[in-house]
Amino acid sequence: MFALTVLYDPECGLCRRSHEWLAEQSKLVELNFVPCASEEARQRFPQLNHDLTKSDLTVISNDGAVYFGPKAWLMVLWALTRYRDWSYRLASPELLPTTKRVVSAISQNRYQISRMAGVSR
Amino acid sequence: MNIVVSTYLVYLAISIALTIWVAHTLHKNGRIFLVDVFHGNDPLADSVNHLLVVGFYLINLGYVSMALKLGYTINSAQEGIEALSVKIGMVLLVLGGMHFFNLFVFTRMRRRSTGRQHHPPVGPDTFTPVNAVHQEAA
Repeated sequence: MFALTVLYDPECGLCRRSHEWLAEQSKLVELNFVPCASEEARQRFPQLNHDLTKSDLTVISNDGAVYFGPKAWLMVLWALTRYRDWSYRLASPELLPTTKRVVSAISQNRYQISRMAGVSR
Repeated sequence: MNIVVSTYLVYLAISIALTIWVAHTLHKNGRIFLVDVFHGNDPLADSVNHLLVVGFYLINLGYVSMALKLGYTINSAQEGIEALSVKIGMVLLVLGGMHFFNLFVFTRMRRRSTGRQHHPPVGPDTFTPVNAVHQEAA
């Protein structure tokens, strides 16, 4: 069965919150969560650049396709029953540049956002 | 019974008969679509089909009764038939519009349900070998 492994940043409150939220959503594709650059991640994906996965969300399918940054976010949306249509919409040529900008901005400022939202620890 | 009243009666008879015929056609042929949309869940398909037909009847019969009044007097059979023709023509156009709207709803529902199995929205950045791990992360 097709499944996705999500390498998330366990240091970031926003990411942990998102993880909790995702765990409750109804899914069309199985999602497995593994902390990025952890022992488990290195064991599972020995040839992946694990330093890079610390800088942005990474999603890897069980057949080895790697999605990084905004693409990883879109893949997570795609896995959710309620948001699959949105993943196509946001990935359309008209919206993709905006999606990438917004997602990158959130990713790069995730520690500040977490602090501001009071979910840093 | 004067000519206006007979025009009204003929109008009602034709409009109601047309509405019933179109609703019946929709009910009969829409079912196959809906069974497909709901992946063979027959009771649900029948239920949605029935609800759609009820809405169809309400809107059409509502329009038919709203549009009944002529608003001017008729003095001859010729004028009666002309008035009748305009009225029936309007009913037919509304029925046609409703029918296409229903078809649109059906195909949209169908596309949504079949679109579920689609390919990912974006292509991968790269590929990496994966080691099978049996313990699954939470």
